[in-house]
Amino acid sequence: MTKIIEPKKQRNIFSRPSSEEGVWSWITTVDHKRIGIMYGYAAFFFLLVGGLEALLLRIQLSQPDNNFLSAAEYNAMFTMHGTTMIFLAIMPISAAFFNYLLPLQIGARDVAFPRLNALSFWIFIAGGLFLYSTFLFGTAGAPEGGYLAEEVSRLASAPNGGWFGYQPNAGLKYSPGTAMDYWAIGLQILGIASLVSAFNFITTILNMRTKGMRLMRMPVFTWMTFAVSFLLAFSLPIIAIALFFVTFDRQFGTTFFLTEGGGDPVLWQHLFWLFGHPEVYILILPAFGIVSEVLPTFSRKPLFGYPAIVFAGFGIAFIGFGVWAHHMFASAISPVAQAGFGLSTMIIAVPTGVKIFNWLGTIWGGRLTLNTPMLFALGFIGMFVIGGLSGVTHSVVPADTQQTDTYYIVAHFHYVLFGGALFGIFSGLYFWFPKVWGRMYNETMGKIHFWLMIIGFNLTFGPMHWLGLQGQVRRTWVYAEETNLGFWNLIVTIGAFILAIATLVFMANWIYSRRKGEVAPFDPWDARTIEWSIPSPTPVWNFSNAPEVKSLDDFWHQKYGEDEDGRAVRREGTDELLLQLEEEGLNPKEEIHLPSPSYFPVVMAFGLPFLGYAIIYKSIPLALIGVIMLLIGGFGWGTEPLEEEFESSEEEPESGESKNYE
Amino acid sequence: MSDAHAYPHEPTGVETRKLGFWVFLSTEILFFGTLITTFLIFKGRDFPGIKLTDVYDIPFTSVSSFVLLMSSLTMVLAHNALETNDQEKTRVWLLATAMLGAVFLAGQIYEFTEFYHKGFELSTNIFSSTFYVLTGFHGLHVFIGVVLLLALWGIGQRQKGLSLNEGMNLEFIALYWHFVDIVWIVLFTVVYLI
Amino acid sequence: MSETHKEHPSPTKYVQIAIVLAILTAIEVALYYTEDIVGALAPPLLIILAVGKFVIVVGWFMHLRYENSLVNKFFAGGMILALILFAIVMIERAVGNFF
Repeated sequence: MTKIIEPKKQRNIFSRPSSEEGVWSWITTVDHKRIGIMYGYAAFFFLLVGGLEALLLRIQLSQPDNNFLSAAEYNAMFTMHGTTMIFLAIMPISAAFFNYLLPLQIGARDVAFPRLNALSFWIFIAGGLFLYSTFLFGTAGAPEGGYLAEEVSRLASAPNGGWFGYQPNAGLKYSPGTAMDYWAIGLQILGIASLVSAFNFITTILNMRTKGMRLMRMPVFTWMTFAVSFLLAFSLPIIAIALFFVTFDRQFGTTFFLTEGGGDPVLWQHLFWLFGHPEVYILILPAFGIVSEVLPTFSRKPLFGYPAIVFAGFGIAFIGFGVWAHHMFASAISPVAQAGFGLSTMIIAVPTGVKIFNWLGTIWGGRLTLNTPMLFALGFIGMFVIGGLSGVTHSVVPADTQQTDTYYIVAHFHYVLFGGALFGIFSGLYFWFPKVWGRMYNETMGKIHFWLMIIGFNLTFGPMHWLGLQGQVRRTWVYAEETNLGFWNLIVTIGAFILAIATLVFMANWIYSRRKGEVAPFDPWDARTIEWSIPSPTPVWNFSNAPEVKSLDDFWHQKYGEDEDGRAVRREGTDELLLQLEEEGLNPKEEIHLPSPSYFPVVMAFGLPFLGYAIIYKSIPLALIGVIMLLIGGFGWGTEPLEEEFESSEEEPESGESKNYE
Repeated sequence: MSDAHAYPHEPTGVETRKLGFWVFLSTEILFFGTLITTFLIFKGRDFPGIKLTDVYDIPFTSVSSFVLLMSSLTMVLAHNALETNDQEKTRVWLLATAMLGAVFLAGQIYEFTEFYHKGFELSTNIFSSTFYVLTGFHGLHVFIGVVLLLALWGIGQRQKGLSLNEGMNLEFIALYWHFVDIVWIVLFTVVYLI
Repeated sequence: MSETHKEHPSPTKYVQIAIVLAILTAIEVALYYTEDIVGALAPPLLIILAVGKFVIVVGWFMHLRYENSLVNKFFAGGMILALILFAIVMIERAVGNFF
């Protein structure tokens, strides 16, 4: 059987964690698969919370002049809904996919920096908890004489300045209390998490590829991870500094974004959208990657135009940096900028269109299997095209100034981020379910989930297009009876509840199939990429031997050859090959040294919220706790080897002694 | 590790941790870029009250800039000494770099207190705010650098030499230190001289 | 790692480089004091000097000259992206309010 050698204990601040099961093994793990799974569950939890907030919003809007939520509560709910869905749900679910799949797809044993990976995850958790602790400790006062000057409930004691935090509305004068500080610092912490993971993924993709895995042989999902990591690495620093300024404005009396002190609110908009627009592609590109894996598999055809889809992905990422001001057509920007950013917004539709045609080309003439992942992938294409087309309408500046801040915009970005990103994510969740759990999901329930979702989705967000064009304004908690917007708003609310039911079906399926689902066969989808050439659930060591990749879709070409007409023909002996792969995958021949678990990432990560509280409450003791945790974590980390010394490796010189450099 | 060879690494030919570190440095450009942009935008505006030009002391800042510049030299000499495996010299130069960095920091603290006494405070006007956040953010980087240098020096002192792994760390700290230095080269010109 | 380290300069070379840097800094400070004489030329000259120092430190002290081209691309990419984006923002904030 397997030979995983027991590590020898070494002295450090804490003795090295050694449990392999139970809570502590998960808390201290540095295994990319476990981290991926934890990312997934945590993000799904926040997705439910964000969805709940959306339901509250929809109940309030279900009829005119409703008073289910107060204005203050409504503001808090839409702010938290946006912030949660973007930073705590979709981004980390994508991170879950990156974590779990990236090393498998490039044939690596783990990511480049396993402990840094654990650090990213725990900073994300720390940041999420910090942000949500606003419901316990935060205060959201009312501006003097403002219409919000009513008693503020706990529900309203959350950030209420919108996920975009426009200044000066999100400044101290118009958003008094500590809630917006929780928002600014919470996003700061979450940003660190994503930044760290971006370094990790870029390095992993460049340097951890297995033999023969040239760049142009990498699966498209890996490519999209690569593009997303660049977007994260180069856009997050900008928002980090901008949030820094906000915190200074709110805490230390500066006026970076406040006109009364000579500051510049429009500068905030620039800095925010310099990050915010790449962020949109950070959310959607992982879904592009997932769909590009699912469609070829279930069409039984290679991806149509692989290089085009890769370059289009990078084209989108690159141009994505040059379209930010289209969020600001109604702000103070020059006519030249309006024309320029209008143009660049049209141009970015081109690489996106290239991808759509590539996907259509992939399914064209294929032998389609319409199971749940495929349905979600097809749904993704349809919904994303609608969202993309309404997106192009925003590039027409005069039209956009009419649409700004109406439900038309809300409809657009939900088609892109829900119909696009989330459909893609669901497709991926079903597709890789057997890989992660070694069991099959329930197909019937999956299909029910899909149909409920697509109906509910279109009922929810379709009518928002015309509600917006009729003039219903975003971020406003009531509308008058006379506007005649009541009917469609009720439909929208019904749609939102159908989405909630669909999500329950998904959860039921997941919980049931995890335990009782059929045991997944080896390679259940007759798939194309090398993560399916190892047993499911993935063994701790991923690949028993470093695989050698000879072509794009290597696993497929191991199984299939071509006949004279270029049709795929299953090679003789494929069944034996699969049996052999399963046998080899479960029984590695050599000893495998895996990175050892560590306490220090967790210690470091949970130091950050203390620093956050210290800034908000101007508390030196809290700051000291935070700094000490960071120092203990950092020092322990720096002096702890990645892998423990192993008993058997006696030929290795002892570490700790001075060695020659080079 | 005996089996590390079975598992291929680094198709790019750049050591993995070094590659990751350079990616980190590339993003640092964006951090400082945002700060400098904000500074320049506000520099061109009218604002009431005391200005930096009313309080600053160019000879003093020139000297502290020079100190930081020379700390880059001692850093590179430490790196060089390690490459030729002269452990003794490595530690001397490491300590020298840390000390020069500390001198720069002390200078910055002195400068900030002087400015404060002259009425140029954090929230005096938009210019003073950007000045303190920008130079303070750089100062924080120097501080972290000094801590790292001292930690590495301490480890070297205790073990009478740096191991291979710690030698890599020295290389990263050196890169970080030089980066902090080039940021100051830009800041000195942009903030003080122009 | 040794493949990426094409012969680094010797200590003497480093000291020479540092002397050049010191001289450039001296010129910068001198330019500041003679701004009345040099006039409008001073700011561009100062920027050129700063860029020169920047390049010297990055190229020699950070060994970017001797580094793999991939690393160079990352650093240059970050620089170029930052310069373009922030130039646009600066121009916009200088003129945007007038429309």
